[in-house]
Amino acid sequence: MQPVVQIENLTKEFKGKRAVDDVSFTVQRGEIVAILGPNGAGKSTTMLMMLGLLKPTAGIAKLFQEEPQSRAVHERIGVMLQQVSLMDALKVKELLALFQAYYPKPLSLETLVKLTGMTNGELDKRTEKLSGGQKRRVGFALALAGDPDLLFFDEPTVGMDSTARKQFWLTVKELAEQGKTILFSTHYLQEADDIATRIILFNEGKVIADGSPIEIKRNLLRQSISFKLNETIEKAYLMNMKDVLAVVEDKGRLKLMTENPDSVLRKLFELDLRLEDIAIEKGRLEDAFEQLTVEQEVS
Amino acid sequence: MGMLLRECKIEVIRIFRNPYFIFWSLLMPIIFYVIFTKVVNTGMENQALWNAIFLMSIAAFSVMGSAIMTLGIRMVQEKSEGWTTLLRVTPLPASSYFIAKMIGQSAVHVFSIIIIFFAGFLINGVTMPFGEWLLCGLWILLGSAPFLAMGLLVGTMKKVDTASGVSNIFYLLLAITGGLWMPMEILPKLIQTIGMWLPAFHYGNGAWAIVQGESPELKNVLILGMYLILFMILSIYIRRKQEVV
Ligand SMILES: Nc1ncnc2c1ncn2[C@@H]1O[C@H](COP(=O)(O)OP(=O)(O)O)[C@@H](O)[C@H]1O
Ligand SMILES: [Mg+2]
Repeated sequence: MQPVVQIENLTKEFKGKRAVDDVSFTVQRGEIVAILGPNGAGKSTTMLMMLGLLKPTAGIAKLFQEEPQSRAVHERIGVMLQQVSLMDALKVKELLALFQAYYPKPLSLETLVKLTGMTNGELDKRTEKLSGGQKRRVGFALALAGDPDLLFFDEPTVGMDSTARKQFWLTVKELAEQGKTILFSTHYLQEADDIATRIILFNEGKVIADGSPIEIKRNLLRQSISFKLNETIEKAYLMNMKDVLAVVEDKGRLKLMTENPDSVLRKLFELDLRLEDIAIEKGRLEDAFEQLTVEQEVS
Repeated sequence: MGMLLRECKIEVIRIFRNPYFIFWSLLMPIIFYVIFTKVVNTGMENQALWNAIFLMSIAAFSVMGSAIMTLGIRMVQEKSEGWTTLLRVTPLPASSYFIAKMIGQSAVHVFSIIIIFFAGFLINGVTMPFGEWLLCGLWILLGSAPFLAMGLLVGTMKKVDTASGVSNIFYLLLAITGGLWMPMEILPKLIQTIGMWLPAFHYGNGAWAIVQGESPELKNVLILGMYLILFMILSIYIRRKQEVV
């Protein structure tokens, strides 16, 4: 199948500092992809390059196998940027009508209202009178106005209350069921885990993991216990221990991979082996995850 | 075409909903007009002619201001808030955005011109043949092109505060040195000389000529045209440079 999004070796430098460093991935139709990473990881920069709004220092970005700036692409995408801004001095419904007119086959106002949960009162309000959360909802409606096949949301739920959030993700799932492809960025692990079919984990401008939420979490939880052993022991014996996932030998040290280091350690001590210089290391994803907000604040 | 028309209509609606526009572009010039034709005795020999000429000056003053400021500052605001960025990922062609802004602004200028001319008729009983009213209106409308281009140039600035400060200063300097506030003849010689090479004098002068039954000088048209081209080239050049990031 032809990829909907294709980026290759995408790199962006700001004054010699790499914000995005050699990122490549493709997205297929119908995927819900979370670009997950702490603040400053390069999520927005990557998205802006995908959209053709920022010129990559190196690498290419294609949407529907075309240049992202082409009009044919613009007719098929919907975008909500990190900072939602609306044209002022217009009523919400006037702004929506304006946007609908940009596209060949727009969604009706009724559909937009139903999908985003805007109220009639909001439709008659001037955009500058809206609260932050209401603005986001209008931004969401603008992204959907053209009935796009591919949607981009950069940190979409920041500033939404929990009801609005719920409604937003419900709609996103519904859109995905209709076969739309969705890319969103977030620094909430929970959100990525709940919604996405795939998580691309960013840290310091690089993709450090890419997989289903289950795979990502398994990787995250995996830790290693390493030690020197002053006696010989069958590797197979260690391998067969409960909770041990893998055993590797490296520079005279034995390394046991596990999701449950406590129980493995207890077992090792019970065996009364002559262990020396024990070290427990967290998974390589841990670093990035420590900076993520695992639980969303309740608002 | 339908898209462009809708875009223009929206721009017109937005300008009219802006209270600053009504104040600065209509109320202020009319108050000015009252002061300099009714309150202050300017000692003009031909008061009726002065009333007509000064009406053209303040109509030009009003349209020039809204071309530079309303257009330019709005564009900076929409850019700094990120609205323009969002537009760049919609099917709306980038040119439509600029064209709609300029056409919408001009449509509003038609309205301003009619109101100000009508105010002149009501306040001072300014009359002239219908054809002259029409020609004056057309001159002020079309002659505003270099100021619209100057608005586009202001629109390339990054911050709303800078844009509004800079455009305010240029606007007032142009108006004074162009003789839109007081006749050119009473200004110091040096300022007159400088003013002759700036666009505002030539903008006003065309309309003053029509009021006196003459036609605008070729020089007026040429200088306005030159500034139009200059500002267009500059703003396109700056915009190109800004796009490559
Ligand atoms: N326009 C810019 N100029 C200079 N540095 C920038 C610019 N945009 C982003 N950066 C830097 O690039 C890095 C990645 O930023 P960003 O993509 O916004 O991260 P995220 O969206 O993941 O929070 C940060 O260190 C940020 O400071
Ligand atoms: Mg960001």
